Amino acid sequence: MTLETMLSLMSEGMIKTCGIFILTLLGAMPLGLIVALLKKSRFIVVRGIVSAYISVMRGTPLMLQLLAWYFGPYYLFRLEIGGWRYPALILGFVLNYAAYFSEIYRGGIESIPVGQYEAAEVLGYTRVQTFIHVVLPQVIKRIMPPVTNEVITLVKDTSLAFSISYVELFSQAKQISSSHTTFMPFVIAGVFYFVANYIVAFIMGRIEKRLDYYK
Amino acid sequence: MILEMKNIQKQFDGLEVLKDISFGVDSGEVVSIIGPSGSGKSTLLRCATFLETIDGGEITYMGKKAAHTNERGEAVYVHARELRQFRSYYGLVFQQFNLFPHYSILRNVIDAPIRVQKRSREDAVSTAMGLLAKMGIADKADAYPFQLSGGQQQRVAIARALAMRPEILFFDEPTSALDPELTGEVLKVIRQLADEKMTMVVVTHEMAFAKAVSNRVIFMDGGVIVEQGDPRDVFENPQEERTKRFLSVFER
Repeated sequence: MTLETMLSLMSEGMIKTCGIFILTLLGAMPLGLIVALLKKSRFIVVRGIVSAYISVMRGTPLMLQLLAWYFGPYYLFRLEIGGWRYPALILGFVLNYAAYFSEIYRGGIESIPVGQYEAAEVLGYTRVQTFIHVVLPQVIKRIMPPVTNEVITLVKDTSLAFSISYVELFSQAKQISSSHTTFMPFVIAGVFYFVANYIVAFIMGRIEKRLDYYK
Repeated sequence: MILEMKNIQKQFDGLEVLKDISFGVDSGEVVSIIGPSGSGKSTLLRCATFLETIDGGEITYMGKKAAHTNERGEAVYVHARELRQFRSYYGLVFQQFNLFPHYSILRNVIDAPIRVQKRSREDAVSTAMGLLAKMGIADKADAYPFQLSGGQQQRVAIARALAMRPEILFFDEPTSALDPELTGEVLKVIRQLADEKMTMVVVTHEMAFAKAVSNRVIFMDGGVIVEQGDPRDVFENPQEERTKRFLSVFER
């Protein structure tokens, strides 16, 4: 097998990997904010549920969670799971990453000095205005480094999709490698992950720089 | 009367910080509140600006009641939306300035007038530029708070409060976070406002300033008003033992 055919075979997997990555970010970043706000709810039941959710998501392997989301409906309810693979995969990733993002957001929100809230309150801002215009922009600046970390981890974690036999880049590399007894596909996959993360780090760095206009 | 506080009570975890305090502020008056730390003077200001809720008593702005005590002895506030209207009557300048770091100096001063008071941008900008000029920092309009000295930041904070056109301006130890050489520029601005008959209540440790600028001095200790009156009387001829002891610490 030439390098060219290998690359063209694997390009499909690369696109699927990018798909998991993008959908997870689109789902988990906003959901994480909602979770972070719910964790500060005045209702103890809500706080309890959110805490339990976060601790399960962080306390168990993502691979196990993916297996549970995919096979759970069958083992628990004897449901037909044909066609459920991709939704289960995205659901698993989004819920897992939302938990991590929510904790990053919460840390950021709690780091904003109480004086900012008080100044806004005295000026007559509503609570929603205070959060959106005063708190959130400052939170975004502060959480950029941990968010970058999390996004880079996600690039690599997409390979866990192989555990429920979703054929993204890593699964594909494994398949080609065993059928053609060559290590080359793994090298290609490795370079892909590295370059993807290099781009992520570059973009996030640019955003951080743009937010550098104030301290 | 612009502000009237009657029989204000406030506790923190069972500790009485304000014990039945009553005081009012007339239009054009400059009132200084002095006293040892822990005397309740900052808490009184925070109650007047609704940053703390009172446990009992009555708060009235411009003849309109914002809070009162009901038959069961609980303090009741008007509805949140109405309370926000009361906020337009006063401004507060914090010890720590609390400017919005992500906004330019100009944006700090115009944002609330535009967003909260729905004033036009042109109107807000012209008011803001006028105020910044008065504060001597018009050239800093495009800078960000972190680029300014503490004294400059505090003057921006004063401009931000004034931009809302309040009836009364509160200052919570406005110079306590400043290096000594920067307190003068802030006090000068407050003095200038006093000359223009801006109604102000200033919690301060600057005795010379309190004496020179205010029409009335209130000495607080242990959650009560121990003594109040014309600054010359209070400073030069204090009647109460506690006032004498407190003032004796500040040697002239």
